[in-house]
Amino acid sequence: MAVGIVLVSHSPELASGLAALVAQVAGPDVPIEAAGGTSDGRLGTSDARVEEAITRADRGAGVVILGDLGSAILTVRHLLETNGNGHTRLVDAPFVEGAVAAAVTASCGATLDEVAQAAEDARGARKL
Amino acid sequence: MLASSEAQVTLPDGVALHARPAAIFVRTAMKYKARISVVANDREADAKSILSVLALGARAGTTLRVVAEGEDARDAVDALTTSVSNLTE
Repeated sequence: MAVGIVLVSHSPELASGLAALVAQVAGPDVPIEAAGGTSDGRLGTSDARVEEAITRADRGAGVVILGDLGSAILTVRHLLETNGNGHTRLVDAPFVEGAVAAAVTASCGATLDEVAQAAEDARGARKL
Repeated sequence: MLASSEAQVTLPDGVALHARPAAIFVRTAMKYKARISVVANDREADAKSILSVLALGARAGTTLRVVAEGEDARDAVDALTTSVSNLTE
């Protein structure tokens, strides 16, 4: 089973839009879950939404989490400190490129380490 | 000395090397140990990096040059050229 990907954004639309893009590129075998906005749909992040997304994305091979900015990262870090189970990892990666690279790597049946590395390597990728 | 292999293949009508087709290409490349690059429009990409392949911006009808180095280079080039020929929209 593929490593799952969780996308944490302040914006529900940003998280779900990126999830749709990534799913189109990576195909149906990679669990991709969006956790955007607060529990009442405003801009912000929600511990509960992130936690639910991690649970849905976890099919046994681990979960890589990408966040958009500042407090989204803090929310995830806070959550993992209290609920970390050893195979859920927050990566330091650009949101869009990191998610695409991670998901395509996951779709090849790569390990959690490999998927996390692909996301973090995306920082050096040039667009031009 | 490492085996090396090389071949050209043209993207079919209506198929650009973006999104899903690019991912199919990269997934195929990842099955091999060889170091593989793909050249299009005078730009070179790492065939195992989706971001690198997407940055080629290769459109339908573009000729790709696939170059592999390593013990399974020949098989990798064969698999990749077949995979490109079979891409659909």
